[in-house]
Amino acid sequence: MNILKQELRMGKKALIIWCLSLAGILVLFMLIYPSISSQLEDFQKVFKSFPIEFQRALGIADLQLNTILSYYQFPFTYILLAGAVQAMNMGVAVISSEVREKTGDFLFVKPVTRNRIISMKILAVLVQILITNAFVFVAALITVTILSAEPYNVKLFVLITSSLLFIQIFFASLGLFVSAFLRRIRTVLPISMGVVFIFYIIFLLNETLKDEKLGLISPFGYFDLSELSKTMNYDSLYLLLWFVLVGLFIFLTFRLFARKDLPSI
Amino acid sequence: MNVIEINQLTKYYGKHRGIENVTFSVEEGEIFGFIGPNGAGKSTTIRALLSLIHPTSGSATIFGKDCIKYGSELRRDIGYLPSEVFYYEHMKVLEVLKYSASFYDDVDYTRIQTLADVMDLDLTKRIDDLSYGNKKKVGIIQGLLHEPKLIILDEPTGGLDPLMQQNFFDLIRTENKKGATVLFSSHILSEVQKLCGRVAIIKDGTIVKIENIRDMQKHNYKKFTLEYKGVIDVHHFNLDGITNLTLEENTLHFLFKGDINRIIERLQGQALLNFLVEEPSLEEIFMHYYQKED
Repeated sequence: MNILKQELRMGKKALIIWCLSLAGILVLFMLIYPSISSQLEDFQKVFKSFPIEFQRALGIADLQLNTILSYYQFPFTYILLAGAVQAMNMGVAVISSEVREKTGDFLFVKPVTRNRIISMKILAVLVQILITNAFVFVAALITVTILSAEPYNVKLFVLITSSLLFIQIFFASLGLFVSAFLRRIRTVLPISMGVVFIFYIIFLLNETLKDEKLGLISPFGYFDLSELSKTMNYDSLYLLLWFVLVGLFIFLTFRLFARKDLPSI
Repeated sequence: MNVIEINQLTKYYGKHRGIENVTFSVEEGEIFGFIGPNGAGKSTTIRALLSLIHPTSGSATIFGKDCIKYGSELRRDIGYLPSEVFYYEHMKVLEVLKYSASFYDDVDYTRIQTLADVMDLDLTKRIDDLSYGNKKKVGIIQGLLHEPKLIILDEPTGGLDPLMQQNFFDLIRTENKKGATVLFSSHILSEVQKLCGRVAIIKDGTIVKIENIRDMQKHNYKKFTLEYKGVIDVHHFNLDGITNLTLEENTLHFLFKGDINRIIERLQGQALLNFLVEEPSLEEIFMHYYQKED
């Protein structure tokens, strides 16, 4: 437990900043809603005049802007994107920082197994992801409830907002795997930004192509917000794929780190 | 009983050699020196003992147990001071030491203050405000805090001033008298001579020699430099115990082991410009060991 406590203490500042900025951006975007809600019909007309490929790329092909939740999807897409970067940052950094900050010679000579160190570090990432999600969820719930003039679909709200948790867990485990796979990581942010944006671009591209196989590549496609409002549930195939991939990444992280040499300073 | 037993330990980093067939053992209660120039493989051997790296072949046991398989269990009784010390920068010294202590059972927390007093270390400072020498002190304290049965020191004196080195050596001697076995790695021969009973000499990844310090002092090498006025007759120094003889213009260099009076005898009646007798550097002694190997 001492490792978990130590990790949480070291990540505290970053976590607070991330929570505040994610929730802040979301709330800020939502505050625009009341002032433009009367003109949404006009917006939709303009959108519909765009070529269909373009509409798809922007994720507005099936858009119905008449409810608060259909508007909510918009800013939330960016929350997913930013949240993915945050989670992947944590995943990549949590173990590799011991090598980068050269503190590995301290921690790994303590009387604990490597597997235990890694479990505790993964647990620390999970706790921080849960805190982020709880914070964003509550902030979003309060904002949407206050701004909505009429009752809204609570189930859809929960589905949309919870997709952040799934996306974050996916990218955190991917980050862990990357950090186990690479020999030495000098900087974290370029890796996580790069990977997240590549996946997002694949997702956007596939919005126009609608290729099923390509859809399997990007986790953003697994939790496509515009699909959610139609089906009112997560796609079970994608959910299974998410589960398998997360499991595989975590397994490989343990596997690779068990045999890894700590580079000498 | 042997506390450490290393058997044909080999480590390659890809094609790059780390160590090759390193074999030696450290007995219970001794202070064992491990010397060699930088990059000879001292740290690689130590890191394998601590299962920070996995050996390519060969094995090592500590307290009779395989050091990779029983790593976490064995590390309860090991105190390690790395050659370069790094800690979590934003933490205070006391926090780091408490965090370190939290990994062991039955740690006497009053020892933190006692050891800090001996090493003259301010516990309230932040790690990133510490100088290299002060970080080293943090390392020494966290390595000795849990009263380990085996103390592994990798170039421990770097950055410590002479006074602190003395305090540190006293600490090590005290722990040793209490029963701790010490593996002391260094590239400075004199500090190993001060502290250790036996030494292993490593060069280019292989053990060149394992020797008693007393025996080593017996064949105490001296480095001679003679500057002549006239022509030098090299044959004049065709003596047993002379090695590494080199001649540059009218200056003669050689290493000598044995009765110094025999050299003095040869110098009678010679016209000298300069005459130097020095302690040979470790490198030169290693050179000598190499030639013996050939």
